[in-house]
Amino acid sequence: MALDRKVAIVNLSTGKIDIKPISLEVRKKFLGGRGLAAYLLYKYVKPGCDPMGPDNAVIFSAGILGGTLASAGSRTDVMCKNPLTGLLGSGNMGGFFAPELRFAGFDHIVVLGKAPKPVYIWVNDGVVEIRDAKNLWGKSVTEAQWAVREELGDPDIKCAVCGPAAEKGVRYANVMTGIKNSNGRGGGGSVMGSKNLKMVAARGTMDIKIAHPMEALEFDKRYIEQITSAKVNQTMGALGTPFIWGATNSWGGLRTNNFQYNQLLYCDEIEPESIDEWSKKSVGEYNMTACFGCQVHCRAKYKIPDTPLARKFGVVGNYDEGPEYTSQGAFCCEPGCTRLDTLLICNHLVDQYGVDNLEIGHMIAWAMELYEEGILTNKDTGGLELRFGNDEALIEMIHQICNRSTPLGNILAEGGIRAAEKIGKNSIKYLVHVKGMGNLHSDERATPGLALNIAVASRGSDHLRSRPAIDLYHLPVDVLRKIYSSPVPYDGPLSSDHTEYIGKPWQVYWHENCYMAVDCLGTCKYHTTFLGATLPNFEDWSKVLYYNTGLEMSPKDIWDVAERCNIVERLFNIREGMKKDDPYKGEILVDRYFNEPARRGAPDVVGKTIDRQKFIEMRAEFYKYRGCDEDGVPKPETLKRLGLENIDKEPSLV
Amino acid sequence: MSEDRSTAESLRSTRTYGQVRCMNPSCMGRITPDPGAPKAKCPRCGSEWRIFWVKPGFPRVKGPVWETSQKLAQEKWAAIQAQAQQKKEEN
Repeated sequence: MALDRKVAIVNLSTGKIDIKPISLEVRKKFLGGRGLAAYLLYKYVKPGCDPMGPDNAVIFSAGILGGTLASAGSRTDVMCKNPLTGLLGSGNMGGFFAPELRFAGFDHIVVLGKAPKPVYIWVNDGVVEIRDAKNLWGKSVTEAQWAVREELGDPDIKCAVCGPAAEKGVRYANVMTGIKNSNGRGGGGSVMGSKNLKMVAARGTMDIKIAHPMEALEFDKRYIEQITSAKVNQTMGALGTPFIWGATNSWGGLRTNNFQYNQLLYCDEIEPESIDEWSKKSVGEYNMTACFGCQVHCRAKYKIPDTPLARKFGVVGNYDEGPEYTSQGAFCCEPGCTRLDTLLICNHLVDQYGVDNLEIGHMIAWAMELYEEGILTNKDTGGLELRFGNDEALIEMIHQICNRSTPLGNILAEGGIRAAEKIGKNSIKYLVHVKGMGNLHSDERATPGLALNIAVASRGSDHLRSRPAIDLYHLPVDVLRKIYSSPVPYDGPLSSDHTEYIGKPWQVYWHENCYMAVDCLGTCKYHTTFLGATLPNFEDWSKVLYYNTGLEMSPKDIWDVAERCNIVERLFNIREGMKKDDPYKGEILVDRYFNEPARRGAPDVVGKTIDRQKFIEMRAEFYKYRGCDEDGVPKPETLKRLGLENIDKEPSLV
Repeated sequence: MSEDRSTAESLRSTRTYGQVRCMNPSCMGRITPDPGAPKAKCPRCGSEWRIFWVKPGFPRVKGPVWETSQKLAQEKWAAIQAQAQQKKEEN
């Protein structure tokens, strides 16, 4: 059955491994994936612990639809207390690891403690072992995966692995799988490194019994057609996620030169069409690949071209996948670079080091602004001209940070807030972050709904937790009404104008539940109402869930699960010190959003800032929908409604 | 199949083909580029966009025509600066 997979609690300090079932009651409350991971995190992490210490947990989770007939049931969630923010750390990656983990009999691996020496966890057909990782430690992301396959004699082993950046204690290191699938933003890799855990390797042959196979296949026909016929997915199948750049850079929605501008000018070389052209030239016409069970094929393949820069850094001809839209931001608009080889090299390096592309690009762009402002000098940079548009300096800094090989690299590896404390000189003023996590490369000064989204996102400034991205399409109000009035009624205001403030709190709230639900299911966000209004959501998931697992849940039931899990994440953050107006751990934007007008882009974007008062009002409205008080703390009646009133007192349900 | 269509499925009838949206936020009008054309101008607001054809009949905006968009942005920025200066002087 799809519901019979288990949880393994692995204590690396003691070597003890407990295997526990997941009851139907727990399934109905949290489904799986990110939702159940949030509950496990809340119960297994010691409150107030050092995120890099043994009392933290790192939790690997497959969604409840992972490995089933459901489209794109590929996602792995990794959760921990984030060493960067001290709050919720959570990432989500595609690839093939989650299905393999399920084929091996498990949905969740909860790792506690710290191993005395490097180890890896081997999960194989119902058995979990802790094994010596001396042959894996120090290896790059891809080298380590091939090494474990060779060691165990099985080329089909799938891995969730950390890279050298995690081993060096960079606070924003990823968990990775395959060539480039990245569990970013959450610091899961950093926590693995702190525990001397190199990887979780999985291989399984335990069938997942589909509850209603014929109905599941029949429904798949229309479900997949719904997904692949969407224009957004057809475009993505041709150009990958970089296709988004065409829109956002056109109107001026990309933070450029850290946060000085909002559009990268004359950057034709790194536009998605140019990336696609090189991808085809370097690997052939069939240049797109996909994650488990996905028909969209949004991931490009490429080899690094032979250029002076690639020669200098010794990476000519190296193979990689992507780059994703986030790498365009991290290595193009944020540092003000416009060369394709730079983008492809940087993307390759972060994949091999296993570091978060958005955070490292953000840190380097911030340092570039500090350098140009005279806050960092040649003495600090070791003579490196850390100016915007300096491609070599950008690449060099990636090496320095990931290896912690220079004083500046060592400081920047600590993340923005700690680095700002060390650098001083009011450097914090230039840091663009929420909850201590660098903002991704989008510039939300002209998009209040998106600004609210990054402020309240549970893991820090982020686009994948609650972003009402379809707000950018100016959909007619009657279409918006249809989307946002299901599965719960909504008759409040809505606006087609993405520069407006009205109606946005509900949209953010709705999308927060939508994204939580899809992360519990373990399917891909690109298969839902993220970038396409006609893509599946709650109503469609109710059927997919039933046919594949036999679990009967209405769209409203799934919505309630998402509500519950979002509240658990919020409770975790509050327990770890989140306060709504705290500049370091709060749900507030930095002053630059309110004070510095956007200077580029479409005429209606030029001059835009976020109105502080309206932003505060939007946030208050969001809290109301979320069932929280004016400080963003869940009300007792909300906890009771969601069955969470005893979460602190009751023993763990798993 | 049609009788139990979900909300998302029912919205498929709103899809448009052969068109792109103007990327100027206050406009967002539909533009129908000539087949295979590398550029298109918005008939409503005058913004000009470079076009990429995903496949025949399926255009998308690749980016702005830089000269046009830069001119418009610079004019707007200059107006904002002038307005701010005037306000400063009045105070």
